[in-house]
Amino acid sequence: MPGTRLLLSLALLCGCTQLLAEASSWWSLAMNPIQRPEMYIIGAQPVCSQLPGLSPGQRKLCQLYQEHMVYIGEGAKNAIKECQYQFRQRRWNCSTVDNTSVFGRVMSIGSRETAFTYAVSAAGVVNAISRACREGELSTCGCSRTARPKDLPRDWLWGGCGDNVEYGYRFAKEFVDARERERNYAKGSEEQARTLMNLQNNEAGRRAVYKLADVACKCHGVSGSCSLKTCWLQLADFRKVGDLLKEKYDSAAAMRISRKGKLELVNNRFNSPTPEDLVYVDSSPDYCLRNETTGSLGTQGRLCNKTSEGMDGCELMCCGRGYDQFKSVQVERCHCKFHWCCYVKCKKCTEIVDQYVCK
Amino acid sequence: MAGAIIENMSTKKLCIVGGILLVFQVIAFLVGGLIAPSPTTAVSYLANKCVDVEKNHQKTKWYLSWGSNPCEKIRDFDEAVSRQIEANDIVFSIHAPHPHNEMSPWFQFMLYVLHVDIAFKMDNQIKNNAEITFNVSLGYRDDMVSEWQPMAYAEETRKLKCAFNYPKTKENEDSFYDCDVLSFMEIGTVAHKFYLVNIRLPVHEKKGINVGIGDIRDIRLVGIHQNGGFTKVWFAMKTVLTPSIFTIMVWYWRRITMMTRPPVLLEKVIFALGISMTFINIPVEWFSIGFEWTWMLLFGDIRQGIFYAMLLSFWIIFCGEHMMDQNERNRFSSYWKQVGPIAVGAFCLFVFDMCERGVQLKNPFYSIWTTDVGTELAMAFIIVAGICLCLYFLFLCFMVFQVFRNISGKQSSLPAMSKARRLHYEGLIFRFKFLMLITLACAAMTVIFFIVSQVTEGHWKWGGYTVELNSAFFTGIYGMWNLYVFALMFLYAPSHKNYGEDQSIGDLGISSGEELQLTTTITHVDGPTEVYKLARKEAQE
Repeated sequence: MPGTRLLLSLALLCGCTQLLAEASSWWSLAMNPIQRPEMYIIGAQPVCSQLPGLSPGQRKLCQLYQEHMVYIGEGAKNAIKECQYQFRQRRWNCSTVDNTSVFGRVMSIGSRETAFTYAVSAAGVVNAISRACREGELSTCGCSRTARPKDLPRDWLWGGCGDNVEYGYRFAKEFVDARERERNYAKGSEEQARTLMNLQNNEAGRRAVYKLADVACKCHGVSGSCSLKTCWLQLADFRKVGDLLKEKYDSAAAMRISRKGKLELVNNRFNSPTPEDLVYVDSSPDYCLRNETTGSLGTQGRLCNKTSEGMDGCELMCCGRGYDQFKSVQVERCHCKFHWCCYVKCKKCTEIVDQYVCK
Repeated sequence: MAGAIIENMSTKKLCIVGGILLVFQVIAFLVGGLIAPSPTTAVSYLANKCVDVEKNHQKTKWYLSWGSNPCEKIRDFDEAVSRQIEANDIVFSIHAPHPHNEMSPWFQFMLYVLHVDIAFKMDNQIKNNAEITFNVSLGYRDDMVSEWQPMAYAEETRKLKCAFNYPKTKENEDSFYDCDVLSFMEIGTVAHKFYLVNIRLPVHEKKGINVGIGDIRDIRLVGIHQNGGFTKVWFAMKTVLTPSIFTIMVWYWRRITMMTRPPVLLEKVIFALGISMTFINIPVEWFSIGFEWTWMLLFGDIRQGIFYAMLLSFWIIFCGEHMMDQNERNRFSSYWKQVGPIAVGAFCLFVFDMCERGVQLKNPFYSIWTTDVGTELAMAFIIVAGICLCLYFLFLCFMVFQVFRNISGKQSSLPAMSKARRLHYEGLIFRFKFLMLITLACAAMTVIFFIVSQVTEGHWKWGGYTVELNSAFFTGIYGMWNLYVFALMFLYAPSHKNYGEDQSIGDLGISSGEELQLTTTITHVDGPTEVYKLARKEAQE
């Protein structure tokens, strides 16, 4: 889409500073270590205003739920790690650029990659908040507030405690979507398209965590029979969430904004996406070459696999520019003795391997 | 000598009684479905990793990651590696419940299961048949500031059953194994407000303890307990049901003792069924609110076992007493073949329960399933019990078949019989068919509700109401069997229409058919003999 690119470069010319401010995101919580909550002075508001990348709504949430911030940062960190794992063999490898915008300018393009990044980071927050919930680190999570019967004071006694996955989901929805919800754009505008896309992808990410959480049950009736059975949700390993979202990335739907201000399919032959699917509005920029405008880093200097036919193969990775070969000495641990934690006794083995780097 | 009430009751009255029982049945379901919350709740906990900095690893010290005297906590084990902390220095700490909550005696029991999150590493994989050994101590306190009081300590071993669903390559390092849930602990009382679990996984290379169990990342516990609201509804139900069943039981026995003949076997069995029902009903659980009675779970199991055994025996004896052949029964010993399997099965389950929940009274972390011998033993008991149950049902089905065969045989010859004999047999057939019908209905309801509660999600949204299916299942089925026993004692009690006249009946002769209708006895054994007696008299005359 040359039109958008022109628009973008125009915007860049008009106000570089503004764009940079726009690009900053709550993802930056992953980059700047946040102090542990016990080190906060209770009610110390400046913490939230000092955190970079938060939108006004998110800042408000930060003030209300200060203890959650560490875990949001942790969730974002895990999400970035997972993104880099899933895209380790692609031309765009989810590399972080700086501490405020995190992924750089590529995220201002509503591409498939952006869709994945939004989804995986929303999923990361659900995961991290649910985990903190189980650790007992969050005072607001745990017992649900739905009393039964109506005015019973001690609902924990009456009905048990709410599910921590559900809490994680609800909090992540509040926090992650806050940025998109607090802005209003003209119906049918590019910005609105982008907002809707982000909301859809955030939801897809959160649902992926919820969907993959499997139900574990325990029978404990008479003599351990199954006349009494209790089930609970059990979060899946975050790798599985990454795998699922990667699949969704591959089958993401191209959308455009309609006059009514709704996203519609570019190609009507396909099925319209469910809330669990990823959507994108712009085509991906060329990740082969370094481009300041799009934010692409290019693949120059990336390692590639000479024998592979896939995306990590040198042909595709280097975009036909060719590659350099060199030998490197790798020192690896081998013949190790392990304990379940913290104790490793290894020998060092050296190996000479051929490595290929894109020109 | 009178017949049962059910025979002498008009159809209209029978319908009214049936209607009233049905109303109570619906109430029992609604109480569970609308008032009570779901029966149990699961709360998940993630263990905090504390560092035992003291060199000699005191077992008496308690580790809690927050509060007034928090332990030194690490986020993950990478941190431990860099600080040269060893596996033996790490204490997993779980506080139940989560902060800002407290446990309550209304929760009735605590059942904990354990998950271990193990990451895959190329050079540190889980060995085959790996076992994990943990030292675990459980403590309690009743306010936030006092010292932790020790409650139990044990060294337990569990088998790790883990599978890795990815190819075992370098790429998939740090993905997690899929591990089965391990049983952890079971306590039959929740007498304290706060509980603290400290788990250590000591490594002893020479003894091969905790070697080859992979790269452990986290330990999670899931705690299951009854919901307080459900407990209250349940107790209320028991408290209401106890006097009603007890009253009908006393009434029933008075009826029987008012007769001049000694009670027959079937009457005794119905009475015994009433006693076992009352035994279940008596709400001794109220004491669990004030006392620390850990044996309540076991006691509940035993009570239920006695009732089930009684119910099954009753069905067999009821069939036998309605057999309508000329065999002399009316003795418990003549049913040994059918009741034997029930006794053996019940005994097996009792032994199994004693081995599991009985031992848990001493050591709450014990589970019979953790060792090979224990598993085989437990399986043996359960299989024997299963075989006994199958055997029993074969006997029961065969007897029901026999009764129906006899019924059809008798029905064809009914018109040819004398009025006395005909009424006697018609009464028998009606009584049998009626019980058969309600028993089948109750059994079918139980099975259907069991399946529904297992398959569905546990609650239905219905307009503004949430119907808790599982609770409705428990209160409904419990209420149903109570009503069943109630109806049995009421309908099968001897009719009061001219009791005490059995002495004079011989003198009265058989001039009136009306009298004879009342001479039909509840069991076949006296019935025909008496009718024969009369018939003989008639012949002599």
